[in-house]
Amino acid sequence: MVILTQAASEGFVDLNVWTAIFTLVNLLLLFFVMKKYLFKPVKKMIDERQQEIDDLYADANQSKTEAAELKSQYETRLAEANEEKEEILRAAHRKAQLREEEILREAQDKAAQTLKRADQQIEMEKKRALNEIKDDVSGMALDIASAVLARDIKGEEHTALIDSFIENLGESHD
Amino acid sequence: MNISVTGPKILFEFTLFGMTVSITETVLSSVIVMLILMVAAVLLGRNLKKRPGGKQVLVEKAVTMLYNLVGETMGQHNLHFAPYIGTLFCASVLGTLISMTGFLRSATADLSTTLAWALVTTGLVWYHSIKNFGFLGWLKGFTEPIAVMTPMNIVSEVAQPIALAFRHFGNVACGGVLTAMIYSGLAAASSLLFGWLPGILGEIPFLQVGIPAVLSLYFDLFSGFIQALVFCMLTMVYVGSVCPPPEEKEAKE
Repeated sequence: MVILTQAASEGFVDLNVWTAIFTLVNLLLLFFVMKKYLFKPVKKMIDERQQEIDDLYADANQSKTEAAELKSQYETRLAEANEEKEEILRAAHRKAQLREEEILREAQDKAAQTLKRADQQIEMEKKRALNEIKDDVSGMALDIASAVLARDIKGEEHTALIDSFIENLGESHD
Repeated sequence: MNISVTGPKILFEFTLFGMTVSITETVLSSVIVMLILMVAAVLLGRNLKKRPGGKQVLVEKAVTMLYNLVGETMGQHNLHFAPYIGTLFCASVLGTLISMTGFLRSATADLSTTLAWALVTTGLVWYHSIKNFGFLGWLKGFTEPIAVMTPMNIVSEVAQPIALAFRHFGNVACGGVLTAMIYSGLAAASSLLFGWLPGILGEIPFLQVGIPAVLSLYFDLFSGFIQALVFCMLTMVYVGSVCPPPEEKEAKE
């Protein structure tokens, strides 16, 4: 049933050197073409993309680390600023209190001084008024006495007499 | 009912330097396979984009799989063999499947083809063996693990390409023969079963519809891929074994 024929064909397991050589040449040609136009460019593209993705991830990671670092920095700074603010407020408060006390004290001092001066002035005025009254009264007494006595008394004697009188009067008055 | 089991038909012959050069069906198939793959390679390999679409995704997937396979089998330092392995695989698969066109003969169903490829493998093994271990190192390799093994090692070294070639050739060629036998067998069965039908109806081989297609799935498609894979895997293993990683090579020297 199965016939191995030789007519116009090679044997089933014949080896044809020329076929082998042609096959070899074909394979090599195919290899160079496929390597140059398919494998190399495709592999290059895959590698480049992989590289790009790796770079992106590395960048993203770095950015994330940096951001975290910055955040902690800012938080520290913010805390510092808050503390500083509190400090400043406290200092201002203290200063204001001191100033307030000072102003109060000054005002009190001034008021006391003014009061004292007023007292002194009043005292002086009182003294002056007393002296004036004393002079007036002595003049008046002299006039009255001269009118009463109607005689010429030596002025100096009378004056001394009246002065002593007034002095006594003033003392008893005080 | 006769089945002729022959090699490839000789299309024409010419004389070159006193030698008869015969161009067979195998050469025709081989050239057609080469041209198809070249055109496909150029078409698939151009206009590559960072953001791939459609066909580029598939091409990249295939190339990645190839590089992964080579990397796993031969080691990461031998990735530069991937283009050759890929070429060999494509040529083998298409060289087998081209018979499904119906008028071309499988290029791999010819011992000349598979032996040429197997000799490339052996050539690579010898070249890299001498390159990596030196000529003496290569010769010394035959005496390992013990000197008594030398004749066996030599035999196995010679048998290696022959085994490689015959395995691929035998599988594909016998697939073809089996398919032809099944066709004629089914024709005979048909005429027995349906021969009583009147006129032309009796001559139609009904059984040839469907059944060979299923068998062809195995003998052509499955076997074609498996044999291509086996051939490539063995090539990778043989070549990879004489291309150790750089650190191991230094240790060996």
